[in-house]
Amino acid sequence: MSSNMIMLKSSDGASFEIEEAAARKSKIIANMIEVECVDEDKAIPLQNVTGNILALVIEYCNKHIVDDDDDVATEEASEEEEEAKKKKVDDWEAEFMNSMSLETMFELLLAANYLNIKSLIDLVCQTIANNIKDKTPEEVRKIFSIENDFTPEEEEEIRKENAWAFG
Amino acid sequence: MKRRSIMEPIPTDLITEVFSRLPAKSIARFRTLSKQWASKFSSTDFTDLFLRRSSNRPRLLFGVKKCGEWLFFSSPQPQNPSLSSVVAVDYHIKISGDVSKYICGYASGLIYFPDMCIAHGAPVICNPISGMYGILPELDRYRKARGFLGFDPIEKQFKALSEVYAFCDQRDHHQILTLGTEELSWRSSTIQCPKYDSSLSEGICINGVLYYLADSVRDLPCVIVSFDVRSEEFKFIDAQCFSEQLAETHERPPLNLEGQDVMEMLLATMRMDRPTNTIKLILVNYKGKLGAIYWKYANNADGRRTLELRMWVLEDVEKQEWLKNVYTLPENEVLESCDFSVAGVTASGDIVLSMKHVCKPFYVFYFNPERNTLQSVEIQGFGANLEAPENRGTVYAFVDHVEDLSVFDAKQLKSSISHATHGCCNKEEQPTFHYEKAKTTERQDMKETVGKMKTEEEGDNEKE
Repeated sequence: MSSNMIMLKSSDGASFEIEEAAARKSKIIANMIEVECVDEDKAIPLQNVTGNILALVIEYCNKHIVDDDDDVATEEASEEEEEAKKKKVDDWEAEFMNSMSLETMFELLLAANYLNIKSLIDLVCQTIANNIKDKTPEEVRKIFSIENDFTPEEEEEIRKENAWAFG
Repeated sequence: MKRRSIMEPIPTDLITEVFSRLPAKSIARFRTLSKQWASKFSSTDFTDLFLRRSSNRPRLLFGVKKCGEWLFFSSPQPQNPSLSSVVAVDYHIKISGDVSKYICGYASGLIYFPDMCIAHGAPVICNPISGMYGILPELDRYRKARGFLGFDPIEKQFKALSEVYAFCDQRDHHQILTLGTEELSWRSSTIQCPKYDSSLSEGICINGVLYYLADSVRDLPCVIVSFDVRSEEFKFIDAQCFSEQLAETHERPPLNLEGQDVMEMLLATMRMDRPTNTIKLILVNYKGKLGAIYWKYANNADGRRTLELRMWVLEDVEKQEWLKNVYTLPENEVLESCDFSVAGVTASGDIVLSMKHVCKPFYVFYFNPERNTLQSVEIQGFGANLEAPENRGTVYAFVDHVEDLSVFDAKQLKSSISHATHGCCNKEEQPTFHYEKAKTTERQDMKETVGKMKTEEEGDNEKE
């Protein structure tokens, strides 16, 4: 495993040091490393990510370096070890998302999208989905800034068709 | 959401990603968000995405039956059972008036009730999550006829197949009904199924082919009837192994296949002794292949009980080759002390065993035959009423339940919705009156007279 460290710089000027292996979770940064446009001494500026969100992203990436190396490791590790490891990661993810506000989740989702970290997009989307699944349409419109362009009659009609879901 | 305004708006793509991970019920509710989202939720792109996502998180569907009344629940079906030892069920619907002697059938998210009181004894197809149902036309059939539900994943079409007089030369053996056509109607099968005596199991639909076990006509061992849902072709698959199993189950002398009369006699005895729907043999989808699992408790010398599973897998359909394996489950106190039945096999090859009756705590076990691992998962949330020992409902679990929005689409059960509004016996304001949000603990009105008609028969079935 490479222990090369690289520097990331958030939009509000905070710098973070991160192992290259962890940073490679981001397809964007991995690409930058591939085409060698990363200067060892210079931080990679991330215009769209604030420091507090970048800190979360880095925490996530650090936690997931290990399980992505498992292509090599799987053959040696027993199934129980694999399962235990996966359980640990799952527990960690649950804990990681647990105390997060919906607002932070959205910022994290945008950052994960910008940095192209697929597993983090999956995790955040599913967590947001679990969070909003029982909300009313009114609440969801507010959350996603969706404008209701139905006439009251039209809305009532669709509501009737889907009456079972409003119980 | 105070800071929302200064943040960049969430791109529609990402909102779509979030929505694709919701339950179907939330999607139905969010159709009222806006015109754009309403049409998006109906687009093929979205329904395909939704199906892909929901296939990644299959659920266990629980039907709890008590006195002709069914309550449906579902829980996550852990992909890796060792990871979650406790999961909670969501309550969906209650539907009353099942007067059939057979268990309801399941295919791709819909339930087939062969005999419903609300339909005056006709079959009903019901979505166990939304509670929307369709009443199928009445059918002139032999009183022991079974009905099955099949799904063709290519045309995305459901078809009901009902036995009528499968044993009779002069009459139709089966009738078929296609769901989603404007007028629900039964028609004779264009390709007649070869004659057989009677069906012996519920059906299972695997990749567009429906299978069930049947007793062939006199002098021949059991067969698997296969019905291709799209082409509507019937085939018999040799299933002599099950004749032997069924004979053995009743602890009779081993079957002498030369003496056909002996076997005929055994099967006849068996059918009289126990209603056919209590055979502890279930057809399963074993990694895409047809399988069958028979289960049996054995009393060991030390007084403990162990559960033995015998599984047959149809390795080669053309050669009709069955592969048999016998597994004795690892010792487990819960498994020993309560009655379990096999619910099915998950896509990853775990055999799912569910407790037969609701109780507290309620367990489901996952047995992986390849790894010989047994994992228990506690299922919570059936409600105090069902959990009470005097009420204990019988549990039927269906594995790998995946929500598919097209099943919820009105066109699939279109006729049904209108039928439900006009044709049902309830005068309350809700057209889908069998849906109610009531907590299971408050099922106060048990006024279904039909429920009682069922009890005698059921009592027998459930004694063993």
